[in-house]
Amino acid sequence: MTVTRAVDILRTRWYVTVPVAFVLAGVLVPLGYLFVRALQADPQTLWDLVVRWRNLRLLGNTIGLAIGVLGVTTLIAFPLAWLTTRTDLPGRGVLTLLGVLPLAVPGYVMAYVLLATTGTYGTLAQTLGLVWPRLSGYSGALLALSLCTYPYLFLNLRTALLGVDPALEESARALGYSRWQVFWRVVLPQLRPGFLAGGLLVGLHVLGDFGVVSLMRFETFSYALYLQYAASYDRIYAACLALMLLALTVAVLFLEARLLRGLLLHRTGSGTARRSVPLQLRAGRWIGYAFGGGVALLSVGLPVGTVGYWMADRVASGLPWASLGSSLWASVSASVPAAGLAALLATPIAYLGVRYQSRWTQTIERVAYLGYATPPLAFALALIVFTLGVVPFGYQTLGLLVTAYALHFMAEAIGPIRSALYQAPPNLEEAARSLGRSPMGAFASVTFPLMRRGLLVSVAFVFLSAMKELPITFLLAPVGFETLALNTWSYAEEAMFGEAAPYALTIMFFSACFVGLLLIREQTATGQRTEAA
Amino acid sequence: MSRFFRLFSVLFLGVVLLGCGGGEPDELVIYSGRSKALVDSLVSMYQEKADVPVRVKYGSDAQLLAALQEEGDQSPADVYWANTTGALGNAVNNDLLVELPDSVANTPARFVPSNQQWTPVTTRFRVLAYNSDQIDPEDLPESVRDLPKNRDLEGRVGWTPSYSSFQDFVTAMRVTQGADATRSWLQGMQNLNPNSYTSNTPMIRALAAGEIDVALTNHYYVLRLKHGGAEGEYEGDEEEEEEHEEEEEEQTRASAPVETYRFSEGDLGNLALVTGAGVLQTSDQSAAAQRFLQFLLSEQAQSFAANRVNEYPVVSGTEVPQYMVPVDSALGLSPEFELERLQEMDPTLDLLRDVGLL
Repeated sequence: MTVTRAVDILRTRWYVTVPVAFVLAGVLVPLGYLFVRALQADPQTLWDLVVRWRNLRLLGNTIGLAIGVLGVTTLIAFPLAWLTTRTDLPGRGVLTLLGVLPLAVPGYVMAYVLLATTGTYGTLAQTLGLVWPRLSGYSGALLALSLCTYPYLFLNLRTALLGVDPALEESARALGYSRWQVFWRVVLPQLRPGFLAGGLLVGLHVLGDFGVVSLMRFETFSYALYLQYAASYDRIYAACLALMLLALTVAVLFLEARLLRGLLLHRTGSGTARRSVPLQLRAGRWIGYAFGGGVALLSVGLPVGTVGYWMADRVASGLPWASLGSSLWASVSASVPAAGLAALLATPIAYLGVRYQSRWTQTIERVAYLGYATPPLAFALALIVFTLGVVPFGYQTLGLLVTAYALHFMAEAIGPIRSALYQAPPNLEEAARSLGRSPMGAFASVTFPLMRRGLLVSVAFVFLSAMKELPITFLLAPVGFETLALNTWSYAEEAMFGEAAPYALTIMFFSACFVGLLLIREQTATGQRTEAA
Repeated sequence: MSRFFRLFSVLFLGVVLLGCGGGEPDELVIYSGRSKALVDSLVSMYQEKADVPVRVKYGSDAQLLAALQEEGDQSPADVYWANTTGALGNAVNNDLLVELPDSVANTPARFVPSNQQWTPVTTRFRVLAYNSDQIDPEDLPESVRDLPKNRDLEGRVGWTPSYSSFQDFVTAMRVTQGADATRSWLQGMQNLNPNSYTSNTPMIRALAAGEIDVALTNHYYVLRLKHGGAEGEYEGDEEEEEEHEEEEEEQTRASAPVETYRFSEGDLGNLALVTGAGVLQTSDQSAAAQRFLQFLLSEQAQSFAANRVNEYPVVSGTEVPQYMVPVDSALGLSPEFELERLQEMDPTLDLLRDVGLL
């Protein structure tokens, strides 16, 4: 039944059909491109390249790293999400902001910072006399990637925790469960969509990362893929490796879909959920501060401090204000619209997937994740071919760049929206419909306010990713369009860290401002809800 | 909701419309694999001097090459400017470049390819960088070919098997010594259990951090580490240089002492490599593109490269800073080798794949 309803919706409502078609095209074009290129390979060489022990080792490394990072990020993100949503810890807002900011630190910057901190000549040894072996390999990649990606999990879990209806917990308590049992049997299952959405992003991020693993010298699939493109000027074998990477992603997506099946988490009763009563931490407060502070120190304080130290050397010779200004404008003018567009596209897709659960709608949702998992360089090359063939006047325009960002990062936007939708009761919307609202009107006046928190997180995710993006920007941006990320990379690549530092700090500072603004909106959203109740 | 919604729609539309402007037709469009950090001020210099609008798309050699190939006839680019002979050779093999007139091709004193499809712009040399606290240069071999025999270097060597200049070096070894000798050299090196880096910057930092004690790299990475390289405005002032050196002196405690070792005269380990540029088939203003190449070969640009980026000139008569080995001696150390043969990349890549390095 739901399949036919979903098809119905696609047929009759353009505001669902258009985004869905757009997203499908945006993902299938790169995929098609990769297949075309891969088929150009010489079969023998291809066979030798695909079937070899090295690939098995790469596979093992990639999966091992992904699992490790998932573990570490969970250990960081879960307590942090709980502290900032369920306790009376003063300064929760600041902790939340600090928990998002690592997303503003480009992975390779984090890796360089960690490398500069450890070792015989590292900052730790210089300042505190602590000689920690210079990070590299699995442990280095694990630490750097975990510090960079835990916010994905943190924000998704936070959204989920805030959306849990406290009445459920209270009923469970009243029925005789202990606090601990309530947590395990009532709260945790509610967090599953949020956890899966965040975990998926973390996992896909690890699968696709190149910046960190290359600096830490830990060989994964994407590392090998990069070598094919960069070292060998080879588009064809790189395409084959990209397809192998995508196959791995499809496996992960299947796993996630299985774990999500049949979830129904929204309230069925009448009225609006209250905010849950925060736990009084009392003496536990200090443990909370120690944990939150420690995480923030390592994931935000350390990179900002180190980059600031690099910059201190160069401040004497003056900061490149003009160039900073123009690259900031370039970054913002591409990232903000991309974030908006991605959220706009993700909403109908998440909506279809949650409200009309069927194999069909879930496939659409999964397909959107494939765009995220397509190696950005391949993604950009595919868009070059496509744009020049179909809309040549759009080539190397800002519009193309924004679209490419939005399509590539949309997966980051789907998760939070989906989590919010799971917790928004559909009968409210049905009631609005029966009172005479149009489908769009009912959605806008009833469901949209309930998913606003999810939307804000989505926008923040995509914005932060777009601010750091490199390969797509390199290839698709208008000629002469230089973002902060391009400048940071360009100087860091030539070991001119002092020159790179102002750009890196500007990325972090403005990302902090933007995310801070979004979080303030989240607070007001929550405030309105409390009042309404 | 609608406020939120409207705000983004307006922003988005605005940006799309803004973006549709497109470039001016008389602009010179350069695709530069050379990093913005190194060449940005050179481009501005040209822009001021020649009074023409220049736009640069920065990327890596390989990224831009891939983009150029996918763009085909519709490429907006006029000039391809690359870090390596390998990339330029690849562009030649894919018919991307046009033949340059003699006026351009005769300017450099050396390294011009016989097909005249690109011109060399600067020269760099392969060297062995080492930590002088840990390594006595007396113990280092005469030839890079004997490096695998230094068993005490096990676990202390750094190299960049996927990096273009290293691959150029391997190609040169393969062409001059044969594939088998090269294979056993690579395997000998692998037996030393080296640390593989994806590029020279992290490798030289690892050397300075004491993670490794020797590194096969290009000469300017060591200079940049020691002399700050491309900092400040280019004036070529000797006094300023000395000041920097003093500053560095205080900071050296924060890193291991790194020195340059050169193998004996004519050894492959001292191989000279070039960066270069060519005019693209798709260019609709080849005259302007050629003028830009002429500028890169001018005294002003060559001297800029020497002083600010620490690369060697390709034209006669340009001086290099005092802390660099003089041009003639550096060239004398490098073996006789026809750089054009570096275009034969594929067998090298097969070799590297074969021994498991790619």
